[in-house]
Amino acid sequence: MIEFINVTKHYPGRHHVLRELNLKLPTGQMALLTGPSGAGKSTLLKLLLRLEDVSHGTLMVNGVDVSTLKKRHIPAYRRRIGVVFQDHKLLMDRDVFNNVALTLQVSGVSGKQIQSRVRAALEKVGLGNRIHNLPATLSGGEQQRVGIARAIVHTPEILLADEPTGNLDGSLSTEILDLFRDFHQHGTTVLVATHDQSQVERLGLPVFHLEQGMLQNSKEKSA
Amino acid sequence: MSALHIRREAAQNALNTLLKQPLATLMTIFALAIVLALPVGLFAALNNLQQLLGQWRDQAQISLFIHQDATEQDIQQLQKQLQGSTGVVNVRYVGKEAALKTFEKNAGMTAAIKILGENPLPASFIVELNPLSESPAALQAQVQKWARQPGVASAQSDLHWVARLQAILALGKRAVWILAIMLAVGAILVMGNTIRLHIAQRRDEIDIASLVGATRAFIRRPFLYQGLIQGAIAGILAWIIIAITIAILQGPVDRLATLYGTRFQLLGLTGLEGLILIIISAILGWLGSRLAVGQHLDHTFS
Ligand SMILES: Nc1ncnc2c1ncn2[C@@H]1O[C@H](COP(=O)(O)OP(=O)(O)OP(=O)(O)O)[C@@H](O)[C@H]1O
Ligand SMILES: [Mg+2]
Repeated sequence: MIEFINVTKHYPGRHHVLRELNLKLPTGQMALLTGPSGAGKSTLLKLLLRLEDVSHGTLMVNGVDVSTLKKRHIPAYRRRIGVVFQDHKLLMDRDVFNNVALTLQVSGVSGKQIQSRVRAALEKVGLGNRIHNLPATLSGGEQQRVGIARAIVHTPEILLADEPTGNLDGSLSTEILDLFRDFHQHGTTVLVATHDQSQVERLGLPVFHLEQGMLQNSKEKSA
Repeated sequence: MSALHIRREAAQNALNTLLKQPLATLMTIFALAIVLALPVGLFAALNNLQQLLGQWRDQAQISLFIHQDATEQDIQQLQKQLQGSTGVVNVRYVGKEAALKTFEKNAGMTAAIKILGENPLPASFIVELNPLSESPAALQAQVQKWARQPGVASAQSDLHWVARLQAILALGKRAVWILAIMLAVGAILVMGNTIRLHIAQRRDEIDIASLVGATRAFIRRPFLYQGLIQGAIAGILAWIIIAITIAILQGPVDRLATLYGTRFQLLGLTGLEGLILIIISAILGWLGSRLAVGQHLDHTFS
């Protein structure tokens, strides 16, 4: 369960980016986060990852109060989350295997386990035959799937994605978002920020629509 | 989290990074080695100087004149006491007759002495001291103690030279210490700067690792190991530089010593000293990277 309770966020010396935000996403649900550019979608996801601190209010994630989480507990908390970015954030000097393995290495998983779990994750995203490629030799869609494999290889409780299809054409976007829906159907809580109106309509999932840092309640319906 | 395999991977990671840029790594190691070899070499030089000066025992020579009425027993007891005292390298007894002979030979006053009819010169002990064995004050106190022993008439000593020598050595040591501390700070900064560059090069990797939940310790470890490894290798290299320098200088030192009719073997670092050098050097490397990591990891978005 993700729960924003009266969450306000302002960057130093700036107006509020998020204002008194209240949002609830029950465990195992999937929802989309929409809104115009600058509405605060990325900021909201950064709060969830504790890449940014909450200014006021409370943010609860699966029983953890993220807004007051001590710095030294942040790494362990982040290991319960998977995150995908529009620009993949892959390490270009490492092959696909090692990019995905990083998530497990930081939690101290042993080499043998890493082998099998990375392979399994890459199979899931359909890249089982690209294990030793460098990212630069992959297409944009494939790179994004490496990013997704890295985000799910440790079977996180929550999967976050910030415009994961922003750089991809229509059919690839469909593929990627269907992947997210698969994970959600296997019990993962998923929150995806997207601009892509056609996908929003196609998926028919609950939508949180942000405008100027505030949630437009009308579209919150089923979440 | 701190399982062995994690440390091993971090060490492997550190080694890979170093081997990926062999030239830069070597340059850092050489720079560190030279920075370390300088003060350690000077310490070795001081040590050798001290060794050499300790041999100038005739420069710290004390004469204890024996009382005319001293008994044979007094003299024997005194000799035993002198030989057992700290810093005493040699004790020589000069009897009345021997003293007279020396006097005659040196002063050519045979006639004058003959007129006196009786040998006026006292017997004495010539005590040779290692001038560096004790402080001048302690040596002086010891001489005064000897002068009060039964059978001793008076003592004659000139310890000014010892005081001066020791003062100069103390000054030298202090100067080398200051230099050593400054260069240690220099070594830390050299390493810190190198690691800072490595951190900048690997910014992406650090950011992403932090994003997927790497702890600070996990991110820091490979950099700390890099500092440790380079520091240790620099220590070994510094030891080698000092050993080579000493080997090169031994030849001229031999020739010089021969001119003075002695032998002098230059001392290098002992095994233990070498080991300490390597450990200190490794610690300095570690401290340098610790400094860089402490400063530059905080700029991550974690
Ligand atoms: N680090 C920052 N410091 C200051 N202002 C920031 C920072 N990050 C974002 N902002 C501002 O906060 C507001 C919301 O930004 P955010 O990136 O969350 O929007 P977004 O909804 O993700 O937009 P987009 O659809 O373009 O990605 C914007 O006005 C942005 O300029
Ligand atoms: Mg954004």
